[in-house]
Amino acid sequence: MKSMRRREIHNKMMEGVLVVATVLVLLPLLIIVGHVLVEGVGALNSDFFTQELGSPSRALLDRPTGLVHTIIGTVVVDLLALAIAVPIGIGAGMMLSEYPEHLLNPTLRIMNDTLNGMPAILKGLFAFVLIVKPMGTFSGLAGAVALSFVMIPIIARATESALMAIPWTIREAGLALGIPRWRVVISTVMPAAKIGMVTGLLLAFARAAGEAAPLLFTSFGNNYLPDHWLGFIFNPVDTLPQRLYSLAISPYSEWHSMGWAAAIVLLAFVVLIFIIARVATRDRMKL
Amino acid sequence: MVRNFLYILIFTCLSISLLTSCGEIDPDRTPADQRVGILGAGATFPAPLITAMADDYRDLTKRRVTVNYQSIGSGGGIRQFIEQTVMFGMSEAFLSDQVMEDIERQTGGKAFNIPVTLADVVPTYNLPGIRQNLVFSGELLVEIFMGRVTRWNDPKIAELNPDVRLPDTAITVVHRSDGSGTTNIWTSYLSRVSDEWRGRVGFATSVNWPTGIGGNGNEGVAGAVINTPGAIGYNSLSYAVLNNMSYGSVINQAGNIIKPSFEATTEAANIELPDDTRILFTNTPAEHGYPIAGFAWMLVYENLDHNNAISSRSEAKELIRFLVWCITEGQVLSHPLGFARIPDTALEKNLVMIRQLKWEGELIGEEVLDEVDFEKLPS
Repeated sequence: MKSMRRREIHNKMMEGVLVVATVLVLLPLLIIVGHVLVEGVGALNSDFFTQELGSPSRALLDRPTGLVHTIIGTVVVDLLALAIAVPIGIGAGMMLSEYPEHLLNPTLRIMNDTLNGMPAILKGLFAFVLIVKPMGTFSGLAGAVALSFVMIPIIARATESALMAIPWTIREAGLALGIPRWRVVISTVMPAAKIGMVTGLLLAFARAAGEAAPLLFTSFGNNYLPDHWLGFIFNPVDTLPQRLYSLAISPYSEWHSMGWAAAIVLLAFVVLIFIIARVATRDRMKL
Repeated sequence: MVRNFLYILIFTCLSISLLTSCGEIDPDRTPADQRVGILGAGATFPAPLITAMADDYRDLTKRRVTVNYQSIGSGGGIRQFIEQTVMFGMSEAFLSDQVMEDIERQTGGKAFNIPVTLADVVPTYNLPGIRQNLVFSGELLVEIFMGRVTRWNDPKIAELNPDVRLPDTAITVVHRSDGSGTTNIWTSYLSRVSDEWRGRVGFATSVNWPTGIGGNGNEGVAGAVINTPGAIGYNSLSYAVLNNMSYGSVINQAGNIIKPSFEATTEAANIELPDDTRILFTNTPAEHGYPIAGFAWMLVYENLDHNNAISSRSEAKELIRFLVWCITEGQVLSHPLGFARIPDTALEKNLVMIRQLKWEGELIGEEVLDEVDFEKLPS
């Protein structure tokens, strides 16, 4: 009896430790989100979502100013980056997991991890040399390429581990039916690994959506909407993390509160993407 | 499922290639109905003025011409100008001889430094109870920033301010911790009035300060000064005015006590200028000029077609139109925003330089200037 009691106490104590640990993990997040909300909610008005930024004198003289071009720019650049990164990242992950005997795989794995650990600003620099210099101007496309360098290694790693988790017997079953190997991967392994892969995409997307460094010298920033929708791709584009940075280091308190509001929008954007992706995968699973 | 995935793949590839092909911009669309985007970047200090000019110019052209100016610092502005990723750069330091030569070799034409506005730096301080403008001399500022004059009631300060009852407060020197054009102008002034400062500290966008605490940006210095009784720092005049800080007058080379003002700053530049306007005129010889001021230059290539960032003749012409507007009509925006206007001497030199701007050998600068009716401009 005595030992039973001791075990229960022990159990309770460990439970308590776990709860404390969880709270400690969540606490910084809650503090950050709470602080951003408190500081920024005042600057969220209809102008914020409908007007262009223009010059700081607009904010100082109470003339309409906002970040409509920044919000649209973020959506365009991030989605374009995802469009570039998904085929490459999933392809690399597939190769790592499904063709383990391939000669290039050890090198690929090392290079992928190196790319993942590389400072994001270097990826921006690479995109600058690769896209900005030949095009002669900063562009949303260059920003998307820089962000795709952030996404690719994460997607590749996540895809690899998601595919690896699927038992080999499933592949053998497919092969026994005479289906070619690539077809087996796409038709049987990938649907089973979908949840893991989508999680990887989400992680990559959320990570890239918050990056300002690769965008500073690629998408560069713009105080206005482009004059044509293609301008979001071929001209300098404003994005939330980069604009947040420049608003924060500006000498105007009006711009500081706009920066907080930009942080709220960026947070909401990432959360929204998470929710959409979760709902979408859940529905597909039922079918 | 497979099909879906393949469709997505194909769609992605197609859309990317489609978008890429649409990017070819027809070089000879007529400017009348075509919208034009002009990209510039550089110095932070003139950014409020340039972006306000961009706002007004956009309204003026009925949203046809959009000037996107990003403040990335003078160093960044020069860098991107050399990299040819921006149509114009903006800097509080003119291009060095080395850079000028390199550009001449690469593009077959000069790089022009065109003064668009003026930067003025004032000593700001925090002495509770004293609202008068204190008077400083160059020598005194050197003594303070060297850390040798350490109390506000020092005889050297009292001598220049006989009517002020100076407190026995310790002086805290505040300087910029980041690289900045403001620091460049400030230290250039100290170097010109003191051989010792030039030898020991020199002038640059950031230097090894003999004493004091650092603040990041104009706001960092202002924050430290405002929160520290007895502090002295340096800020641009517009920033000091905007934040209601006390700032001092400075005795200039001619021996006059100059209270910082737009007029005194403009007057400082009203001197014999070289044809390329590349001159630092801190400690100006102008009799009523404020001695701690400098130009902020717009950087453009003489051969605009050699700048990769400019893709067509019409774009180049729109850039010149904006530039001409900035140095003429656009100057009326200066005073309300806390900037000094460029003097007539600089305007004359600017027009000579603009007249030389070319597109594939054609003098399009002259074409633009011929459109302007200088009689009707506000003086």
